[in-house]
Amino acid sequence: MHDHQPVRLGSIGVFLRARPELLREWVLRRQLNLVMFCVVAIVIGAGVYGAVMGSWRGPWQALYTGIKLPLAILLTTLGNGLLNGMLAPLLGLNLTFRQSLAVVLMSFAVMSLVLGALSPVAWFVVWNTPPLTAAMQLSSPEYGVMQLTLAGFIALAGIVGNVHLLPLLSEWARSVFTARKVLFAWLAGNLFLGSQICWVLRPFIWDPARSVEFIGREYFHGSFFETVFEAARRLILS
Amino acid sequence: MNDQNPIPPQIPPQLPPVMPASGPRPLGDDPSERVAIPNVIVAIEAVLRHPRRVMFQLRQPGAGRLITAMLFVSVVCALIYGVVAGTFSGGTQLWAAPVKIAVGLMISALICLPSLYIFTCLGGSQARLIEVGGLLAGLLMLMTILLIGFAPVAWIFSQSTESLAWMGTLHLVFWFIATLFGLRFLEAGFSHSNARSLAGFRTWVVIFLLVAVQMTTALRPILGTSETFLPTEKKFFMAHWGDCLKAQDEASKSESR
Repeated sequence: MHDHQPVRLGSIGVFLRARPELLREWVLRRQLNLVMFCVVAIVIGAGVYGAVMGSWRGPWQALYTGIKLPLAILLTTLGNGLLNGMLAPLLGLNLTFRQSLAVVLMSFAVMSLVLGALSPVAWFVVWNTPPLTAAMQLSSPEYGVMQLTLAGFIALAGIVGNVHLLPLLSEWARSVFTARKVLFAWLAGNLFLGSQICWVLRPFIWDPARSVEFIGREYFHGSFFETVFEAARRLILS
Repeated sequence: MNDQNPIPPQIPPQLPPVMPASGPRPLGDDPSERVAIPNVIVAIEAVLRHPRRVMFQLRQPGAGRLITAMLFVSVVCALIYGVVAGTFSGGTQLWAAPVKIAVGLMISALICLPSLYIFTCLGGSQARLIEVGGLLAGLLMLMTILLIGFAPVAWIFSQSTESLAWMGTLHLVFWFIATLFGLRFLEAGFSHSNARSLAGFRTWVVIFLLVAVQMTTALRPILGTSETFLPTEKKFFMAHWGDCLKAQDEASKSESR
């Protein structure tokens, strides 16, 4: 006989170890508690990692990036909330708008916790990078190594967050194929919006052309995809 | 009353615990694993001969004492190996190298502990933070004990060669072999914690190796000499190793002229 005791979402360990059935139960019955936990995890985990990223330039950039990174994640989640909530049932997964928002938040919370845990390693990388001097350029190899490592950690955390989500979606949809379709659609949407939000909120590490500021006016001009397209066009036509 | 009942109560037969064919034996099923580890000597012997005893003891109340003992052994062994590494250059390196190796190892472990805990949790491991810390301390102890085993070989080479690049490579090879055994201990420890997947742990291994290698560059020189205790210029280890090999190449060219 099993005495079914509901497991409380009280710690990081419980959240990360939770099996898909338990995660589903939290989404269904303890939504507010789950959402609060995820938001706090995103603010602290991604915030600490952002602060480490910005600390290479200086304390103000550390503060700004510490705010901007969690902000980019939360804005992406909210901005795509409606679309994600519509895509799920269309692709065969019967989730309500709130449930899909909670599930996407969970994935970002896992990502942020991984980022928070990698912060000491990221700090070590930043500490080992030569300090910012007049000779430093965006093309300097040392800056490139740091930038690539920090971006690599974010990519790793993102992959972990999504891989963690797949069993829950499979359990919910009772089909791995449907779960993959939904996850892919959500990923595509989040990547599309997330890239633009990060573009607007830049710089996260350093912009040699400008002094430290939270968001510069000129960052609202153009878009990430326009710039990539223009760069590709120049490369091909030159 | 029982005498009046003609049908004896049905007692289910005692079956041996069902174990998956590929799963590890549960910790503590051998009585010798349940014997406490009272001092550092027993801890050293246990990690080499009966690692399961260490893993079992790390789950018991009062594991903090064992962890402290293992960290103490790690620091002492790292200091001894550091003295051997310092004999290559002599002078101030006789005390600087041991301090740098011991401090570098401890800081690397501390930097990587949070990510180890998070990755193992994501793999479904039920290990608590103190147990994860204990297993990491076990890794450090096993690694540094093995380095002590390599120390006589390293000393002989350090007395017979003047090539910094060669000695650096040799120490890196010894460190790598010792780390592999340490990681094997760590992986065995996690296999007893109901982990569903070791993918996260393996990712962490890459991070740990990179941090430890970078630490040797951040605290340089460990083998060569320098006017300052710590480097004044920051470098990544690939750049540092490239510079070392280039300097070695130039030195050998000028000698041949």
